[in-house]
Amino acid sequence: MGSAGAGPQPPASEYAASRGNVLGRMTALTLMTPVRRQWLWFLRLGFRLAPYSPLRDHIIQFNFIKYVRWVLVDGLDGEDLKYPYLHFESNFDGPWEHYIDAFAYVIAKDIRLTWGRGPDFPHPPPAEPLKDWIAANSMDGGTYYCAHAEHSTRDLQNALAVRDAFQDLRARAASLTPDEFQAAWQRFLTHEQTRL
Amino acid sequence: MSNENGTAYALTTYARVETGHEDALDAYLAALPTGADSPFARLDGVHLARVQVFRKLVHQGPHQRPDPLRHAHLVVSTTFNGGLDEHLEALAEHVPECDEWWGHCVRYPGRGDRAAFVAYVRSIQRRTSLFSTPFPTATVDDVRQSIALRAQVIDFAAATQHLSADDLHRRFLETF
Repeated sequence: MGSAGAGPQPPASEYAASRGNVLGRMTALTLMTPVRRQWLWFLRLGFRLAPYSPLRDHIIQFNFIKYVRWVLVDGLDGEDLKYPYLHFESNFDGPWEHYIDAFAYVIAKDIRLTWGRGPDFPHPPPAEPLKDWIAANSMDGGTYYCAHAEHSTRDLQNALAVRDAFQDLRARAASLTPDEFQAAWQRFLTHEQTRL
Repeated sequence: MSNENGTAYALTTYARVETGHEDALDAYLAALPTGADSPFARLDGVHLARVQVFRKLVHQGPHQRPDPLRHAHLVVSTTFNGGLDEHLEALAEHVPECDEWWGHCVRYPGRGDRAAFVAYVRSIQRRTSLFSTPFPTATVDDVRQSIALRAQVIDFAAATQHLSADDLHRRFLETF
């Protein structure tokens, strides 16, 4: 990974989570890929507008990413780079290979609009060339920390939703009669059963 | 502000590694404890942290001009809730390992001068272009307490399923 030489991309099946980017259930995926300079304005504008559109949440709609960021890097200290770079960091439940089909087929347009601004990007679909490209570009090593590494994204979402619903019930409990509380409790369990 | 989403903040920094320090830095990072023993576990507000060295950039193919790095670069990224200054103060106070990893980088002043430390990290910070999360206002405490509460609710539901309304109500008020 992080090789500067040109050549054949390693097949995705040979990609293995390396030390430094896996912890518990979590996998950190970091990419640093070139952007053709004539498209830098497009990405800057797109990222600036994304928070005000549904685009920001497209990638997290799949409920397996906790936090994700994109950083446009136009120059590094002591370097004379020919390209600006797009630094992408995502934190998945489990190996990223499990999710590339979702990216390649459900949000393919978003993927092409973003990473397609760089040279030699394998525009999805299909998914296999994209998997190979990600495997080749993944920046591994170092150290990785997650405060809730043993819990999936869906786990956290469910727990937070249950907390909110429970706090409402708890606030009312003392003011209800036993029969009223029993009915409220049953409604709570019924409504939250998929999250418990 | 693109570094922020709700109360969550994405800090991303890039520091040039001193020539000749790359291997030592890589070895240091690889040997750092992880999980509950990670240096970042001392900071209550940190959801995620990644510290890694970029030594080379991947050449994409025939349509890209070669673009080799002259130096290695240390990338430190954290995700936390709250303000940046408070986070940097907490790093300086509770994570002496900062002196180890940034100590291999040019112009690092050390944690001794707190103002200089904060200024240094701010100087190597890059603005996040886009930051997304499904729980933008949940702190680490929120997450941990919610997980614990859900487990408690499940146990309570299992233990009280055959109770009368009076007993259920009383037991609920006693438990929660």
